[in-house]
Amino acid sequence: MNPKRCAACKYLRRRCPKDCIFSPYFPPSDPDKFACIHRIYGAGNVSKMLQQLPVQTRAEAVESLSFEAKCRVEDPVYGCVGIISLLQTQIQKTQTLLARTQAQIAVAQAKHSQTQISEFM
Amino acid sequence: MGGPGSSSPCASCKLLRRRCAKDCIFAPYFPPDDPHKFAIVHKVFGASNVSKMLQELPVHQRADAVNSLVFEANARVRDPVYGCVGAISYLQNQVSQLQMQLAVAQAEILCIQMQHEQPLQSHHQVLELDQDEKALLLNNNSINNCNNDNNNLGYAMSSGQFNSNFASPSSIMQMQMQMQDPLKQESLWT
Repeated sequence: MNPKRCAACKYLRRRCPKDCIFSPYFPPSDPDKFACIHRIYGAGNVSKMLQQLPVQTRAEAVESLSFEAKCRVEDPVYGCVGIISLLQTQIQKTQTLLARTQAQIAVAQAKHSQTQISEFM
Repeated sequence: MGGPGSSSPCASCKLLRRRCAKDCIFAPYFPPDDPHKFAIVHKVFGASNVSKMLQELPVHQRADAVNSLVFEANARVRDPVYGCVGAISYLQNQVSQLQMQLAVAQAEILCIQMQHEQPLQSHHQVLELDQDEKALLLNNNSINNCNNDNNNLGYAMSSGQFNSNFASPSSIMQMQMQMQDPLKQESLWT
């Protein structure tokens, strides 16, 4: 048994076994991380998700779950989907502005060419 | 009851094998003709967590909350490691690329202006930006600065690189919202 319980087992008020699935990713120094994930997903669901993943991908999965859980706590209606929506809007606006700027470049270059031709004649 | 005028249990109660009460919190959002919707939300979040989340929301916001939960759950099932964060990373990369292209185009416009003898504004050209465009340029600059400060959602999905130092969601939301209020499009759910 780990002499120091991981944040998950501390939160769940249980013994932290040596092969605890949470302990590599929820150190006792950061109790909020597990608390947030537990609030949104539940310990059982997170444990199941991690068990279905190869060990080398679990750290990243925990980080993405943690991020999504934080988003959901901060925005209970839209969660991280709100960020996706904003990014899509930003992409549309930037594309529009880019297209307009490129059109203006084309017009300016065409005018410049015309000026050069008329000066030559 | 699966909703007004319906006698069949909602998809949630069907899956949970329980009686569907008249005031079932799931019934308005999980009709019996779409069992997959609740199944996937239950798989990722769990019925009791979803119920708790909905209870904490005003009724008029619950439909959107359910739709966003379904979206996130689908993303997580499709990509068990990164979920929605993968999509966010992809979109952020797109934004960065577009901003770079825009910066190049803007520099080119300036060069053209400098090369011409007469300023192009006299021909009603080019830098007639409306308020939205000015705000977008300013926002792009501030986002570039934030990106330079390593806001860290950017990682290559395909290569599997991952930077675990995420900026806080609130800081990301804040800088995005400098542009405008969130646009909650119906098409997002399709």
